[in-house]
Amino acid sequence: MKMEEATRFTSRCINGEPASCSFACPFHLDMRSFLEKAGKGRWAAAYKELKKSVVFPVIVSTLCDQPCRERCQRTLTGDEPIAIRDIEAAVVRYAKSRKPEAYFIPPKTQTVAVVGAGLAGLSCALGLAEKKYQVTVFEAREGWGGCLREHSEFEKFDEDIKLQFSAVSVEFKFGKEIKSLDELDGFDAIYIATGQDGSSFGLSDSWDSEMLITSNPKVFMGGGLCGASPMEAIAQGNELSKTIETFLQTGNVIKSPGGYDKSYCGRYLDHEDARSVPLVKATGADGYSEQEAKQEAQRCLKCDCEKCMRSCEMLALFRKKPHRMAIEVFTDSQSGSLSSRTMTRETYSCNICGYCKSICPESVDLGELLRFSRTARMNAGTHPAALHDFWLREMDFSTGEGEFRIVPDNSEYVFFPGCQLGASNPEHVYGAYNYLREKYNAGIYTSCCGAPAYWAGDEKRMNGNVERIKREWSEMGEPVFVFACATCESIFSIFMPEIKRISLYELLAKDESIVPAEAFSSASVFDPCAARGDENMMEGVRTLAQRGGIQLEELKEKNRCCGYGGHMRIANPKLYDQITENRSRAGDKPYIVYCANCREVFASREKECRHILDLVFGLETGLDIPSLEEKRKNSLNIKKTLLKELTGVDFVPEAHEWDSLKLEIPRDVQKEMDERLISESDLKETIWMAEKNEDRFYNETEDVYTASMVKPVLTYWVKYKKKAPEVFEILEAYYHRMHFIEE
Amino acid sequence: MAKMNEEKTWKCGKCNEELKKKKTLFEYMGHKFSHEVPTCPKCGKVFISKELAEGRMAEVEEQLEDK
Repeated sequence: MKMEEATRFTSRCINGEPASCSFACPFHLDMRSFLEKAGKGRWAAAYKELKKSVVFPVIVSTLCDQPCRERCQRTLTGDEPIAIRDIEAAVVRYAKSRKPEAYFIPPKTQTVAVVGAGLAGLSCALGLAEKKYQVTVFEAREGWGGCLREHSEFEKFDEDIKLQFSAVSVEFKFGKEIKSLDELDGFDAIYIATGQDGSSFGLSDSWDSEMLITSNPKVFMGGGLCGASPMEAIAQGNELSKTIETFLQTGNVIKSPGGYDKSYCGRYLDHEDARSVPLVKATGADGYSEQEAKQEAQRCLKCDCEKCMRSCEMLALFRKKPHRMAIEVFTDSQSGSLSSRTMTRETYSCNICGYCKSICPESVDLGELLRFSRTARMNAGTHPAALHDFWLREMDFSTGEGEFRIVPDNSEYVFFPGCQLGASNPEHVYGAYNYLREKYNAGIYTSCCGAPAYWAGDEKRMNGNVERIKREWSEMGEPVFVFACATCESIFSIFMPEIKRISLYELLAKDESIVPAEAFSSASVFDPCAARGDENMMEGVRTLAQRGGIQLEELKEKNRCCGYGGHMRIANPKLYDQITENRSRAGDKPYIVYCANCREVFASREKECRHILDLVFGLETGLDIPSLEEKRKNSLNIKKTLLKELTGVDFVPEAHEWDSLKLEIPRDVQKEMDERLISESDLKETIWMAEKNEDRFYNETEDVYTASMVKPVLTYWVKYKKKAPEVFEILEAYYHRMHFIEE
Repeated sequence: MAKMNEEKTWKCGKCNEELKKKKTLFEYMGHKFSHEVPTCPKCGKVFISKELAEGRMAEVEEQLEDK
């Protein structure tokens, strides 16, 4: 993997980038950091931050015209923008030590001439002198300050300049007007900063406004001479000192990295939770007191986009910023067995539901980053196979023994129920298919869309499945597929866009003769994450529910994942519990769902909910969830029933020697098995093998057995009691992922 | 609660031997390590209790996955 392959997912993320005010500031002062320090009354630290950017804090805190205030997002709460200059003045006033730092670096031999001791020349000279270059400033007048010399507060400014130059060594030649650049031949670099109406020594035509260079490679030019305001002149001089340093070191002029795009000034966040806080007014004549300055600084909203991290439970849990996540996805891909990976749990804890993308102002999709990570790890063989093993085996079943198709000639529509609808409730498939067959002469094709492979990052399985479905579709005469599952429909839209799609709910809604049962007087439709953007599907379900007389109340957040998405349950059971709990509590009204997985999640949380197909077909269903074994049986029964009914073919499911065993599973054990995704047939196989070969452990006192079965990914264990020949009571069922090497 | 003595409780069904603790080699996610677990002294069959599988073993599995 190349770094860019991971970082491209987050390249548009604006987290950590300067706030709109900093983009507007000529000095690009880090307002968040500065105001954080000021807000805590850390005056010395705030002063240091200020000085680093603005060079002359007293001058700037007196004269800056504060373009940042026009971009202050405090105005979004209806308040006045932060009084930044008054806070700066307070910081200057309350900082105990303002002595500039002396830099202990060896002196350089290169020499720089600065022509003009105005603000542009001074800030550049100071920047270079701090790096220990030999700087000489030539000034025609008898002192520094340029245009400020006539200002009524010049005395104060003069003090500031004196203070900032007190720790460096610069030679000032006042009263020395440079008439020709020939006089400065011996210098390695020259900065012309002669101020408004000053001389450009004939170089103005060749001046480059971006790089501040001229046709003479060692001569730079800027400041008031080139139209900069006093504040811009200071900022420019400071920036240029870095450009000149690079020039002296390398002979090249390179634009310093991290440019500031002025258009970003308009990138505002939504500040949904921010409350109004009015501007703090100074009570004394000398500006803010310490307390007032702190209070005013605390009004700063510290604008930084963390929307995804605040909205998604997974991102909130791990608290990793998107850019960092992308870098760690890359570094994880480079880890050998000796270095640790840092993103495993995050990678496999994501629902891949796209919610982060839907709320991100830049549409950054972290789910896609993590799916990319899963794919890379699957391809490299460094994935924890146990986390997706169950669902991949289910997919193999759904595309193998569970698969069938019955398609009458010239069918325009083929119903694709997906693997879960019928497994969870066969009546949904029978009801929907009977309707589609009668009304549209539709066919039926039950298989798996490939979601388990998609979520596991199993590209090979995914591509194989896509190719197979496309072949089948072509053999069927390229019908329109009717989907009951939003995930199937979304997978098809990504991988098989050529296959025309329509949602079952849209078709049912079109038929005015269908009047669903009024199961609730009022309810909320819980839209599955995969239906996001599929307005027809979402609208179809609402039309049906309303036609049934149900008053609908919209949930605050739509298309949030119920918890099932991404198959993250095994990787992070605690987070899964938290998410399913939060979704169950997202609305007070009962839910109407149209995803079999959503229904099971809410039923498991005892949240009152009904599948829309229950209401359409008048089915009475409670909160029961079939066990894993029952689900497989349901799928096979649908196949058997429909094949017999419609084609006369007898389908005989694959028989196993252990099928005849009867297991008595207490409720609590069954619950644990469902949580851990251990199926009854796994236990039957284990017991059957153990009994056949007497290959088990025996506890004489309790008259119970324990047996194990090693499968490629998991080793299953079962503790059981023999009740009768072929009847066993299950006492414990568990597994582990590691293998032991028996000697 | 006193830990159940698995060696005394369980016998190998095949060999009818009481189990004895033995250093056993485990492997997961490309890492190998050994741990003492009840084993049949005759045929070497390893016994893993629910407590161990869902306790310490699950912890180590998660650590190794995250590594």
